[in-house]
Amino acid sequence: MTERDLACIPPPTTGPPSSDLAEILERVLDKGIVIAGDIKIDLLDIELLTIRLRLFISSVDTARKAGIDWWETDPALSSRAAKDALAQENAELRMRLHALESRMDSDERLSAVGATAEEGADR
Amino acid sequence: MTPPEAPTLTYAFAVCRGGALTALAALPGLDTGAPVRTLTAGPLTAVVQDVPAAGFGEEALRRRLSDHDELERCARAHHTVITAAAALAPTVPLPLATLYLDDDRAREALGERETSLLTALDRIAGRAEWGVKVYAPAGPPPPAPETAPANGTANGKASGRAYLDRVRTRQRSREQRHTLTLRAAERVDTAVRGLAVAARRLRPHGVEVTGKHRTQVLNAAYLLDLGRERELRAALASLHRDESDIQIELSGPWAPYSFADGGLADRRIADERRTSGGMSP
Repeated sequence: MTERDLACIPPPTTGPPSSDLAEILERVLDKGIVIAGDIKIDLLDIELLTIRLRLFISSVDTARKAGIDWWETDPALSSRAAKDALAQENAELRMRLHALESRMDSDERLSAVGATAEEGADR
Repeated sequence: MTPPEAPTLTYAFAVCRGGALTALAALPGLDTGAPVRTLTAGPLTAVVQDVPAAGFGEEALRRRLSDHDELERCARAHHTVITAAAALAPTVPLPLATLYLDDDRAREALGERETSLLTALDRIAGRAEWGVKVYAPAGPPPPAPETAPANGTANGKASGRAYLDRVRTRQRSREQRHTLTLRAAERVDTAVRGLAVAARRLRPHGVEVTGKHRTQVLNAAYLLDLGRERELRAALASLHRDESDIQIELSGPWAPYSFADGGLADRRIADERRTSGGMSP
């Protein structure tokens, strides 16, 4: 897949790379030199954030540090988030154990009842 | 000169130095009917287009760019002009919607920033930007223990322990995978940096962009001398052979969006760091 990705990129110095919108916006919105325009400033300061949110281009802000600690919130890769998942599974396990134990208890009680009252239909 | 019935603004796409930019006139630009043209300001040439004030005034622009389709149209048009200019001459891209009241204001603004623009042009001449993204597959690691608890009830406490073990193993392998992915991303970054004149980490895209099935662990831009593409591809291909768990994506060549600031962005980041009481670099 990656090989194909690498291979299908057009050769150098041909025209515009046919990239997806996210990547174009990433560059077109806030990269490049900013020469205070007469109208642009408001757009950059206020609207840009809205635009980004609308398009889901923005990612976790904390990523800014090194560009790598954004996955704090990603359960697939974050140890903290994974711990939460572990805690959840532990709780689930405890519930299952509890259910199991209570069933075993009642099984014992039932067999005890069965032994003493062979024909007893009363409960 | 123009009669007041059709007031226009000057929309600026990029700033270039030299080059025969007349070919740009064939582009539709923002499709306003006016041609894409150049505007000379001292040693600099701006690529501009007249746009109707009615459609590009502050309010109108804000409304338009809040519309997804309209934003996409503008962004692609902007990008197309910049890319075409960059193919003809050293080009500093300007952000989307850089507008001046008229040509004189545009010239004035360019003049004020002449030095830094020239610095930026020096820096990017003969170079192109490449984007490298690294993805890790998301989701649970291969041995899915999802079915375990169901048959656990059959033989009591022993399988409860086994279940816990499985959970622990899964947790460990997750952490391992996390670390390995990080290291792989760093290796990719280091390798490409070795070929590049400059490098910059961009914000990784969230799952909204990448999709849930994979996670972006590196989003970086590199400024490479023209003609080093083959080396870049070879390096990435060999990295891909070594790091089979990750996915590497290359995009480019781009106009040097991420490196066109003549050092201004670096200074801005430094300022931010100072004012926010500081992270060390």
